[in-house]
Amino acid sequence: MSPLLMTIAAVSLGVMMLLAAVAVLFMRELLSAIILTGFISLSASVLFLLMDATDVAVTEASIGAVLATLIFLWGRGKIGGEE
Amino acid sequence: MIRTVFGLVLVLVLALLLVLAVPDVQPREELEGVGLESAARGYADTGSANLVTGVIVAYRGLDTLGEVVVLFCASTAVVLILTLFPLSRRPSRPSTIVSQTSGVLPAPIILFAVYFIAHSHLSPGGGFPGGTVIASAFLLVMLGSSGVPNSLGRLPAVESLAGLTFGLLGFWGVMTAGQFLNNGFLGTGTPGTIISAGIIPLISLAIGAKVASEFSGVFAAFRNTGGTE
Repeated sequence: MSPLLMTIAAVSLGVMMLLAAVAVLFMRELLSAIILTGFISLSASVLFLLMDATDVAVTEASIGAVLATLIFLWGRGKIGGEE
Repeated sequence: MIRTVFGLVLVLVLALLLVLAVPDVQPREELEGVGLESAARGYADTGSANLVTGVIVAYRGLDTLGEVVVLFCASTAVVLILTLFPLSRRPSRPSTIVSQTSGVLPAPIILFAVYFIAHSHLSPGGGFPGGTVIASAFLLVMLGSSGVPNSLGRLPAVESLAGLTFGLLGFWGVMTAGQFLNNGFLGTGTPGTIISAGIIPLISLAIGAKVASEFSGVFAAFRNTGGTE
């Protein structure tokens, strides 16, 4: 990938992550907030992949995007789901 | 509303700190110090074609052992706390999509993870990421079944054996080469072949088995304490 394309991809991913992180604060539904945190982790994982840190990307994708999100979902199921 | 404002203020303070810190960060064009030394000697020292794994498992083997111990303590604590609160609600029946997928996907996921772990000294990979991927496959199985696993089966035995293997490999190095977690006593072989890089592949397998069984145990404990999702 050319450096320019890489920079564009990295910056746009970073901006999306920032927007999602701010949006988490304003979510009415807990479910949307949880999915957004999962989205942030997945974007971070793609970012690591762009920077050739494949093993870190896999760790981030499986722990951050899958396992942590599911723990949050189970926690939400336990407390009932309202804010 | 107050919570939202509080969160926003926290985020803004953090953002301000980051913005203040950015001008001090200078991009490094070349390696220096320990990094330079590892990059120059790592290939010959460890015999690992993947230098990252060589550094993590051989040069920083003790750190990795400490990491594994920390994870062990954390998972023990989580399981201990969760078993104090008995099952409150039975998990609901999974949707058709989840239950069908959970019959098909885990096998290829585990296959990929085993490849990822076993080739960690050749291509990007490692015991820790591979172990978490295996755990996520088990998680999918758990999500796809409406029942709850009553016992962990042989998972604790696998976990203990893997930890023991890590420690014994370390002490084997003490006996033969006079150094804990010495990498070279088995010979480092030809870099790039599957049987090479000393004890790195063995330790990766041990870490993978340990991490996979620990995370699976934690998720079984979470599943058992209820929640409907």
